[in-house]
Order: sequence, then structure tokens, then C-alpha cells
Amino acid sequence: MTDSAIVTEKLTRRFGNLIAVDGVDLTVAAGQFFGFLGPNGAGKSTTIKMLTGLLAPTSGRATLLGLDFASNPIEVKRQIGVVPEGMGLFERLTGAEYLEFVGRMYGLDRPTTQRRSEELLDFMQLADRPKTLIADYSHGMQKKIALAAAVIHGPRILFLDEPFEGVDALAAGALKALLGRMTERGVTIFLTSHVLEIVERLCSHVAIIAKGRLVAQGSLEELRAGIAGEEGSKTTLEQIFLSIVGQDGSQRPNLEELSWLM
Amino acid sequence: MADVARIPGLWEQIRLVAGLRRRILINNLRRKNNQWDLVGMVLLGIFGAFLVIGVAIAVSFGAYSFISSGRENWIALLFWGIFLFWQLFPVFTAGFGAGFEFRTLLRFPFNLRAFYIIGLAYGIADFAALAGISWLLALTIGATVANHGLFPTLLIICGLFLFMNLTLERLVGSWLERILARRRTREIFFALFILLIVSVQLINPVLQRYGHAAQPWVRQVLPYLSVFPPSLAGRAVAGASRIHSFDALLGEAGVLLYLLVFSAFLWMRFAAEYRGEELSETAAPARAVVRPVSRVAERSDALRLLGPQVAAVLRKEFRYLTRNSFAFFLLIMPLVMVLVFGTQFGGTHHTAIKHPPPIDLFFPGMMGYLILILMSPAYNCFAFDGKGIQTYFISPVSFRQIFLGKNLVQAVICLFELALSMAAFIYVVGRPSLPVLIATFAAIIFAIAGQLTIANWSSLNFPRKLNFGQMRGQRQSGMAALVSIGSQVLMAGISTPILFLSRWTGNPWLPVEVFAFLAAAAVVGYTSSLDPLAALAEKKKETLIEALSK
Repeated sequence: MTDSAIVTEKLTRRFGNLIAVDGVDLTVAAGQFFGFLGPNGAGKSTTIKMLTGLLAPTSGRATLLGLDFASNPIEVKRQIGVVPEGMGLFERLTGAEYLEFVGRMYGLDRPTTQRRSEELLDFMQLADRPKTLIADYSHGMQKKIALAAAVIHGPRILFLDEPFEGVDALAAGALKALLGRMTERGVTIFLTSHVLEIVERLCSHVAIIAKGRLVAQGSLEELRAGIAGEEGSKTTLEQIFLSIVGQDGSQRPNLEELSWLM
Repeated sequence: MADVARIPGLWEQIRLVAGLRRRILINNLRRKNNQWDLVGMVLLGIFGAFLVIGVAIAVSFGAYSFISSGRENWIALLFWGIFLFWQLFPVFTAGFGAGFEFRTLLRFPFNLRAFYIIGLAYGIADFAALAGISWLLALTIGATVANHGLFPTLLIICGLFLFMNLTLERLVGSWLERILARRRTREIFFALFILLIVSVQLINPVLQRYGHAAQPWVRQVLPYLSVFPPSLAGRAVAGASRIHSFDALLGEAGVLLYLLVFSAFLWMRFAAEYRGEELSETAAPARAVVRPVSRVAERSDALRLLGPQVAAVLRKEFRYLTRNSFAFFLLIMPLVMVLVFGTQFGGTHHTAIKHPPPIDLFFPGMMGYLILILMSPAYNCFAFDGKGIQTYFISPVSFRQIFLGKNLVQAVICLFELALSMAAFIYVVGRPSLPVLIATFAAIIFAIAGQLTIANWSSLNFPRKLNFGQMRGQRQSGMAALVSIGSQVLMAGISTPILFLSRWTGNPWLPVEVFAFLAAAAVVGYTSSLDPLAALAEKKKETLIEALSK
């Protein structure tokens, strides 16, 4: 048993000449609700893909629950759940069929898969359309079924790439409560989102990545305390994010150029 | 305050839409990263041009011939040909997937009249319309050369016929767009199209057998065709040629009436679209239903011997097959092929050749051809998985299990189809000798196991995403197709001399022994290839995810 759920050492990924993720050293403690932030194209999804087996790192290593991913991929995958970018659904299955498929792929027996599938469909408010194919789901419904599939086997680490995008407020509220309960029970949640209010409300710890490099990591209090000249306790995550990522001003669009619109 | 846009005039709007279509065409060409695609399109363009010009010459000559030889009534045949092509060609191409959606133009500030005219003008750019206009022009030229006095009538009737076709084509297109907006109907339409293509194969045998009996029935139907626009157009031209003004006017009035009726319907359709008709595929909110309590938990798992992961993949593959109208309906092809080839080249009623091949050669040859059809999807076996490929990679399974599940389904389908085809072959043509029957069984196992090994490798190296119920833009991976053909040639190259061994040596059971050995070797080879292929899948995962998640 280890206290750290996720540890990366010099994790790097190159695509030709582009360094998408550049020597990231990350530590996420077990049971943390961890927010992973960054502007578009910063390397968030690439990092998640490397931590979940969808992408091989060019160099560096990732250790999950004390197991080196590269040498124990099956054992690591057994203990993690993922909502990948694009959701990775088999769209010609119904929601129930997809959950059954995923449950069986994680080695659950059929009765257990069946029971959990029904409970998850009820929880996600997807149970009233048993014959609807995922292809015919709305975007929010697809997100919910992807979330259900990610947790059906009871993972110890949950990776969520923009989990609340397109999900209605009612379901999002229930999901947040569920995720909160999971972290109380020791599940580690690794979340990316562009909605900083959500991250601020849910996450205890945050890391910020920009241009492939990790530029900040710590608890929200630690990040607040790190901003000079601000009243630490009143600083929002958005202000922290902007002050760290937008320091050189290159990220801010020039409104003067759109004067004809105003 | 932002500037308020000035609404452009009607002609400016038409020019903009024409420019949009041109730009879309050019950009589609630019997107093709494979030079063979461009070569294919150029060849298609040349073929299309030859078709239009060739038919135009034939139409012109036909019109000249009919008018000058006093067979004016026959000119209706030319109008019928143009009419059928103009109306049917766009219907078939519409089923191959969504192209540019004309309705998206509704976001711009058009009034209904402009929307209607642009919609009509939009149809002129279709291949069928361009071909139809060219042929009408050719008809006018041919008939005018034969009889100069016909020119005014031809000008009027061809103009009316052109606008009638244009309007009807847009009307049918608009209805099709409404129907094909839903995935399910699109798939049913596509399935009907496949059935139509398949049934074309049967025309020759059916005509051979029932052609004479059908002639009186066809003669009875012909008079009823005279009320349709092509016959009316022909009547107008024939009437003018014989200086029967009543016939000429009646024909013109009839086509004009059709034009007005179709225009009214098209106006109503466009008006509905203009008002914002909902064609969305998203399911309407459904009332909560009481879900039946599943009894799966009470049953024992029929596939428990396979292990949960292989069983899960197998079930998923079967579900995908039943929901993929294209793949599902292709399963009738082997039976149709047996019927077509069986009646053409074998049995007591063969129609094509005097000396049919001996059954002991025809039977294994037929089965080999069917394997070629049935095995081709295996060479790009992740094609329909789409983004779901990511689920395989985030699950704690080896690709050994995934291949096993997929290959089991492929093999079972193949064997089932071949068994059905064998039964049909024996019924239509006759039974081969016992040694050839058993040798063919062994050869089938050799071919399936051997090809699956190569097909799995091909699926990992040359993946290409395919969408359900679509054909346009649904080209197979070129390299996968090449590998498929190469391995089929290899299998045929090995199998053919073995089949002839019995003739050369006089021992009818020798091919059975050789094929049995080869089948066992192929099964062992297949089993031992799974682990190396699983390792290869891990290496190729980025390529696979990128190719299939587009």
C-alpha cells in the first residue's frame, strides 16, 4: 500500500518536433480530488492519455498505486477508470449493453455487471430509454454513460477528461456528490476541466500545465499563498490561473482589434 | 454599435452559393492525402464525360433517325431515358451519405422566394442535371436537323421538360433528405439499395426463363405510361412533326401541368424547411417506461467457457453485425452468388455456356470465391469500432482476447454462410464427390485460419474507420484491400494444385490428407500468432486510435 496514487517522473511526450508534455513531475496522493488545468493545447489530455495507457510516453515513467505502468499495464488498468477525451464509446450499443460489455471486460461476472449496470443507469437517469442506441443519445447522455462505464468496476483512481461538459445541472449535481463520496472512501480522482469554478469547488489540489510544462502544483491554499500582492484567502482559482498562465500576456486576446464590434 | 449587414440581391446570393459549392469541391480534393484518390476522381470525371458525350451522340442520332424515318412516337423513349436517369441517379447517390446540407443556408437572411429559386438553381449543378440538360440539347439538335420546323416546339417542350425534371428532382431530393435524416431510415434505404444491386444480378437468368411469358403483361402496361411527362413530351414532338397541333398542345400542356403541380409541392416543402422543420436525429423526450426485469442474472452464461472478455467481445460483435445494415445484408451475397453462378454455369438448366465445368471443380472453386467475399471485412476488423477502440486500450485485457472474440464471430459467420451456400449449391447444381466435399471442408478451415492471421496483422497496420449505413466516403483501406487480395491469391495458389493432385496421381483422397495437414498447421499458426499480434497492437495503439477516432 502506498500513500501516493499517481507519481510521474520526467514524463515526456514528443510528436515529431513538438514537445506536447515536457518532463512533468507530478504527485497525487491517494484519496485526493485533483484538478489538472491548462489552456487549450497545453498537454492536459496528452498527460491523461499517458497515465491511462492510451499513449506511450517518449521518456519518463508513470507509477500508479505503486505499480509502474509500463511493466504492469493490465494490473494498473484493472484499478483505474477513465472517461477519455471523445469518450471512446461503442455507439452502436445501447447504454445497458455498453455497461455490460465494459463490466465483462473488467472481469466482473454477469450477475454483478447486470446489477451494477441497472443501478448506474438509474442513477444517471438513463434507464427510461433501454432500447436507444448510444449513437442516438444527446452529448450529455453520452457523457453520463461514459462516466457510468468508468466506475462500473469500482476503480481506485478515476481519470475524468472534462466530465461535466454537456451534462445537465441536475445530473451534474448528483455526479459531484457521488465523486465527493468516492474520494471520502479513498478513491483518487484526477480531473481536467476548463470550468475553473467546478475545479475550485471540487478539488483539494491542483496542478497547472502550460506549453507542456508543469508550472504550478499544490493545494488551493498553497497556490493562493504563492501569489504576491493579493489577499490570499479571497483569490479565486481563475485569478490564480490567469496570473500563472497569462503572466506574459501572450494568452490574452487584443480587444482593440475588434472595435467594429463594439 | 456594430454595422448592420446589407442583404445582397438574389443573383448575388445565387453567385455566392455557386461559389460555395465550387469551394467545397476544391477543398474536398485538397483534403485527399492519397494521390490515388485524386487519380480515381480524375478517372471518374473522364468516365462521366465520356458517358455524357457518348449518350448525347446516341440521343442526337436517335432523335434524327426517329423524325426522319417517320417513327416520331419513338422519340418518347429518349425522353423516358433522360427522365429516369435524371430522377434515379440522385436518389442512389443520396443514399451514400450526407453531402453539403442545403438547409444550412437558412441561417442567412434569405426570403422564401430567394430560398426557393436558389434551391432550384442548386439542383442544376448535380451531375444528373448536367447530363440531362446535355442530352436534351442533343435531342433538340438531332430532331431539328431532321425537321427544321420542329425547333420552336422542341424549344418549348425541352424547356418545360428541363424545369419539370429539375423541380421533381429537387422535390424528391427534399423528401429524401427528410427521410434520410434519421439513421434508421438511412440504413433501411441503404439495405434496399444493396438488395436492388443484388437483384440486378438475377435479371439475366429471370429474363432467360420468364422473358417470353412476361411480354403480354408488358404490352398491357404500356398504354398507361402515356400520361407521364416523358410520353407527353414525346407526344408533343410527334404531334408537331405530323402537324397535329392538338397533340402538340396537349403534350405541352400536360408537361406544363406536371411542372406546376411539382412546383406547388416543392414550394410547400421548401416553405416547411424555411420555417425550420426539425429533422434532428436526437430521440424525442420519452415517457419513463417500466423496464422489464432482466433474467440474465438467473441464467447461466452460454459463453462462459470463453472467458468474460472474449464472450463480451463476441456479443458486441454480433450486436454490431445485426445493427450494420450494410454488413448484414451483404450476408445474402454468397447465396445469391451460388444461385447466379449455379444457374448460369451448372445444373440441368444452365443458361450461359454449352459445356459447364465438372462439379468437382466448380464446387471448390465456388466456395473459394465465397471465402473471398466473406473474409474481406476481416482485413480491417476495427473499421466499425470507431472511438470505441479506446475502450479496448483502457480495459485490462490483452488484444489476444479481443482478436479471439472478433475472429470467432468472423469464423462462425463464414462457416454458417458456407454451409448454407453448400446446401444451395447441391440443390441447384448437384453434389460433388465425397473426397472433394471433405477436401473442400479442410481447405475452408485452412483458408479461414490462415487468412485470419494475416487479416489481424492487416487490421493493426492499415486501420480505416467506416461508418454504419453510409457508402460515400466509406472507402476501405487501400493497403488492407491489397493485403486481402494478396493473401487470397496466395491461398488460391496453394489450394489449386492440391486439388489437382487427385487427377495427377489418381488418388482422390490425397487432397483431403494434404488439406487436413495444412488446416492443422494454419490453426497452430493462428494460435501462436495471437501473442505477437497483441504486442504489435500495443505498439500500434496511437495509429489505431488516431485512425478510428476521427
